[in-house]
Amino acid sequence: MQHPDEGTIHSWLDGALSADEAARIEAHAKECPECAVAVAEARGFIAASSRILTALDNAPRGVIPATAPKKRIDPMVWRVAATVLVVAAGTFLVVRDRGSDEQPMSVAADRGILLEKRASLPERAPSAIGRAQSVADSAAPKAAASKALAIGTAKKTVASASRSDVASRDNKATASEGVMMRAGQRAAGPGYAGGAAPTAPTPIAQSGVTGGVAMDATNESPPLKVVGTPRRIGAKVTLYEIAPGDTVTLTEAMPIALEGVVVTSAGAPMAARALGKSAASQSKTRVDTAAITTGTDSQRTNRFLTVPAVSAPAPTSQEGRVSTLRVVSWTDPATGNTLTLTGRMSEARLQEIKIRIERERAAAAAAKKNP
Amino acid sequence: MTDVERLFRTYNTALVRYLTRRLGDRDWAEEVAQETFVRALRQTSIQNERAWLFAVATNLVRDEARKDMRRRKHLALLAEEGRDEMVEPEETTIERAQEAAMARKAIDALAEKDRLALLMREEGLDYGEIAEALELSPGSVGTTLSRARRRLVESYEALQKSQEEREKNAAS
Repeated sequence: MQHPDEGTIHSWLDGALSADEAARIEAHAKECPECAVAVAEARGFIAASSRILTALDNAPRGVIPATAPKKRIDPMVWRVAATVLVVAAGTFLVVRDRGSDEQPMSVAADRGILLEKRASLPERAPSAIGRAQSVADSAAPKAAASKALAIGTAKKTVASASRSDVASRDNKATASEGVMMRAGQRAAGPGYAGGAAPTAPTPIAQSGVTGGVAMDATNESPPLKVVGTPRRIGAKVTLYEIAPGDTVTLTEAMPIALEGVVVTSAGAPMAARALGKSAASQSKTRVDTAAITTGTDSQRTNRFLTVPAVSAPAPTSQEGRVSTLRVVSWTDPATGNTLTLTGRMSEARLQEIKIRIERERAAAAAAKKNP
Repeated sequence: MTDVERLFRTYNTALVRYLTRRLGDRDWAEEVAQETFVRALRQTSIQNERAWLFAVATNLVRDEARKDMRRRKHLALLAEEGRDEMVEPEETTIERAQEAAMARKAIDALAEKDRLALLMREEGLDYGEIAEALELSPGSVGTTLSRARRRLVESYEALQKSQEEREKNAAS
């Protein structure tokens, strides 16, 4: 008989052969020493493989040796990264809500806005300038150039004019110069109705315009984008996005009716001019007292207020960037509510936005009346 | 007792052991075994139950490995997490762990058909069932098994030898 192959021997040992075949293999293995060794070896392989496979039964749960897991980042790293992300996002939101995004101020644009304001008010501007109150810190040369221009009704101005101090009269001409200083030495232009021509350029000049004056500069402006309306008790707060990352905050104090423009300027001396309702409106003026670090009562007005945030020099640069938070307040003639607009940008820019907001509010009110 | 219950009681132990040896993961093995019985439930009739069950289980493992990589990754992640928390049973010695690791290496070194045939045979499947499950000719099962056993043992012994040499070198 031919020697059986290894497969047949395994089949025989596994009992997979027919009875006849198994009998033949068995007989041959007894007679053939070579096949007897092969059979013994096969028995050994069968036993050994069973034993080896038994060792696999101790496989722990939840382990897959067949697929080596990829190297993972430590979960702690993810936790730290998530924490940093949350803190960064929170900081960004807080800073943005506070209007920390600085709006690069174009001096040319600022001048243009002021000129247009001036051009649209050829009659009223001089009177406003005439009422301009400028409280200047005599120790600071820049003070003479820090001005505020206000245009209001005659009634309103009478009371506030009575509160004018002497120093403001002395600075009257200078104030008007300051208003137009940013008009780029174009004081003789058709819209200029101020007094003396500017004599010295100043790095800082604030102006405030109230009274819902239409400005051509805003005609082509797109609608303001509302990016948030955070809840606040006693006030309606609206966040407008002027440009990507640049927001202003409009706060409408519902129960308080007051008129006033509050302008703050870091490092600039206080220059205030009263146009409001004397003591009554003065008490209503919303001024962040925390921001007022200096100044006397006479310097605080309910109409214009230039407040040095700190005693440090003015951070405004010649590049036109404004780093201080400016505030413009006025009263909505329709509702009588006080509106406060805050943002880190030039006052002229803030005034422009204010006009746009007034327009949009008026349009919304008209639409509400005549749907 | 329903058919599925009978199938489960009859074959579950062998099937889970086969899959555990095949996959090296008890949880995964039980999961695949359960899925196998669920599929059996959908069948109106099964001619050779054991062959059918082992064939379906084998195909499930193959399909999962091929198609469901996400699940595999997920399990791998779980496995790694569990590895830190895993407490070795008291009776598991270093020697046993080494044996298991070498057995795994040895079985993984086999060709797929050889490995499956051997594992099925260890679970008591006869040559006909193995041939049916693996779509082999019945006459080739003996050859497949003999080759698988020889290679498994030789591979294991080679691993043992190299392990002993390493230990010797470490001792000296």
